Amino acid sequence: MEPVIEAKHLSKIYGKGATAFLALSDINLKINHGESVAIVGKSGSGKSTLMHCLALLDTPTSGELKIDGEKASKLKSRKLNRLRNRRFGFVFQQFFMNSNETVLENVLLPLKISGTRRKHRKRLALEAIETVELADKARVKSKNLSGGQKQRVCIARAIVNNPKILFADEPTGNLDSATGEKIIKLLFDLNHDKGVTLIIVTHDEDLAALCDRRIRITDGKIVVDESIKHVTRPAARAINSKTKPANTPEAKKAKKNQKKGVRK
Amino acid sequence: MKFTDILKSANVNLFRNKMRSFLTILAIFVGSFAIISVNAIHTGVNDFIDQQVESIGGDNYIEIAPTAAYDQLASMMGTGEITKYNANKSSSDATIISEEDLSKIRKIDGVISMNPYYQASVDYITTSHTDKKYNAVISLMPGGGVKADLSAGNQINSNSSDYEILISEDYAKKLGFDTPSDAVNQTATFGVKQSIKCYTVANPDDCIATLDAKIVGVQAPSILSIGGIRVNQAANDAIYNLASEGIAPDIKNRTPMATGEIDSTKLNEIRADLKKLGFTAITIDDEVGMIRTFFNVILIVFTIFGAIALIAAAIGIINTLLMSVQERTREIGLEKALGLSKGKIFLSFSIEAIMLGFWGSALGTAVAMILGFIANNIFHQSGGFLEKFPTFNLVKFTPESVAALILIVMFIAFIAGTMPARKAAKKDPIEALRYE
Ligand SMILES: Nc1ncnc2c1ncn2[C@@H]1O[C@H](COP(=O)(O)OP(=O)(O)O)[C@@H](O)[C@H]1O
Ligand SMILES: [Mg+2]
Repeated sequence: MEPVIEAKHLSKIYGKGATAFLALSDINLKINHGESVAIVGKSGSGKSTLMHCLALLDTPTSGELKIDGEKASKLKSRKLNRLRNRRFGFVFQQFFMNSNETVLENVLLPLKISGTRRKHRKRLALEAIETVELADKARVKSKNLSGGQKQRVCIARAIVNNPKILFADEPTGNLDSATGEKIIKLLFDLNHDKGVTLIIVTHDEDLAALCDRRIRITDGKIVVDESIKHVTRPAARAINSKTKPANTPEAKKAKKNQKKGVRK
Repeated sequence: MKFTDILKSANVNLFRNKMRSFLTILAIFVGSFAIISVNAIHTGVNDFIDQQVESIGGDNYIEIAPTAAYDQLASMMGTGEITKYNANKSSSDATIISEEDLSKIRKIDGVISMNPYYQASVDYITTSHTDKKYNAVISLMPGGGVKADLSAGNQINSNSSDYEILISEDYAKKLGFDTPSDAVNQTATFGVKQSIKCYTVANPDDCIATLDAKIVGVQAPSILSIGGIRVNQAANDAIYNLASEGIAPDIKNRTPMATGEIDSTKLNEIRADLKKLGFTAITIDDEVGMIRTFFNVILIVFTIFGAIALIAAAIGIINTLLMSVQERTREIGLEKALGLSKGKIFLSFSIEAIMLGFWGSALGTAVAMILGFIANNIFHQSGGFLEKFPTFNLVKFTPESVAALILIVMFIAFIAGTMPARKAAKKDPIEALRYE
């Protein structure tokens, strides 16, 4: 099967001339459907830059990126917007939400952008809010939430469009460990139940250990790209009691049902 | 994103910073208010002039004066040329229309009649219905189809040899008639001072002759037609002759002006012929044209003020939206990261600009219309300067001008909004999200 994301000789240079800074250098990687990938490394090593490039939020200076086998550089802006809106979900390091709006309004923003009908929009957003266990806060203004709750709102917003790939930048970075665990469970539930590909930037080694794969970056270069198997898998299962694999017929059917009527 | 959602979010953003939006709208309001008010006054005045011109008629009426009179006026103002002396046409003769001139003018094709204009004046007017005498200013009612706006009676017959006059409603009341129609067909008596005779009598009252004329109609109040008392040619000439009794004819009959009737379809040819003979013609349209020009100049001046206010308001819109774009950098970045297209971000800010324009101009016209309505009412109240003109609305709004103004202001707002809107649309999502 074709990798969902494939990067070849990717590099990113910030600035020009004397102040030019090589943030990413010759990145080669393939990410398969349903994989959970941790991007780890020290602060300033280029993790966020890599994630932004993979998520098509930023354009690499050189090299090639393919999404589902299609060259990213050839994508029309219309298609790019559809990708961002319908196939990707983002959880940003800082929460990035409209603090004057309610949880519900924040969560349904991607659906509003996609032009989903009002009724569907609200139903799907409430479902997503329920998934992150914030149903009782749906009508509360975002600014009145705690850090952990805000992060969960961001996850609800990231999954409300039923994305194929979820990008999360330090999703537990600002949280205490108990709240962090809740978030981690949420992410891996999505990975296991719905087959969502996870790309998580973190410097939390425990979180990285739960992933299928760990990519370590130092000074913009991939220094380690390893699969983590049997050793840490049980730990993931310890957190996540549900072990249903992602691509069973039931899972696919559920996904289809959820998709119906979503698009304009 | 659906259009209704874009509309909604633009509206929400507009009211997010209420004071700033309010001030921007206020600036647009001022400009729109000025322009629409001036336009409404202009429409009102022009409509009124049209209405009056319609009621006056007088397409065939013409007034002529020697072109030399205008030249002399110019030379007095220091702009004319100094010409050589000619015994046959000296400076003092140049501004006079002689009997010889008149017969030449009468021969011009299209000229139906032409009479020297004598400035007649009376000392008083009275009737048998009152024992009082009133000062009076009379004016010649020209022929050529000129009509007075009558509240009772008939038009004057200019060609009649009977002495016919029109009086105003105010005079009718003073002269002892309860209603205007009571005055119709009654006789009025003029007192006319005979200047030469006054040298020979001891009592000034003894040199005042009287002349009876028939009141054929009563004039309704009107701005364009001269109020007071209007007399036909026969009455005017009779009064003049009475007053100047004893004065040598060649002195008595000197006049700088003649009035007459023409075939208005030949106006241009007549003008050309008159010019050759050294005369300048003025029609009712010319006179109305001067009034119109006066109002047009006022309109243009105030419209320019309004336009300047709107330009300032447009800069206000740019400023407001630039601030808004700056404040919402992160929000825009997030929306772009979540797949909102450039076009829709541009649209959202453009709509915000258009809404500013809409509210400013809509409020401006609404307030102008309310104030215009109140002003019209005040002017029409007793004591108001339009008390006697119930049909004249000084301020008159047409749906077309209101719609045009609102649309134009919205368009200006849109143009002003394109710069900030482009800036917002071009924002890079990552840069925008990093923005602190
Ligand atoms: N817009 C930018 N301009 C210049 N340098 C940048 C920019 N963004 C990031 N960098 C630099 O690139 C490096 C990698 O940044 P980032 O990917 O955010 O690191 P990480 O997420 O691993 O902490 C850092 O040294 C950072 O200073
Ligand atoms: Mg980072």
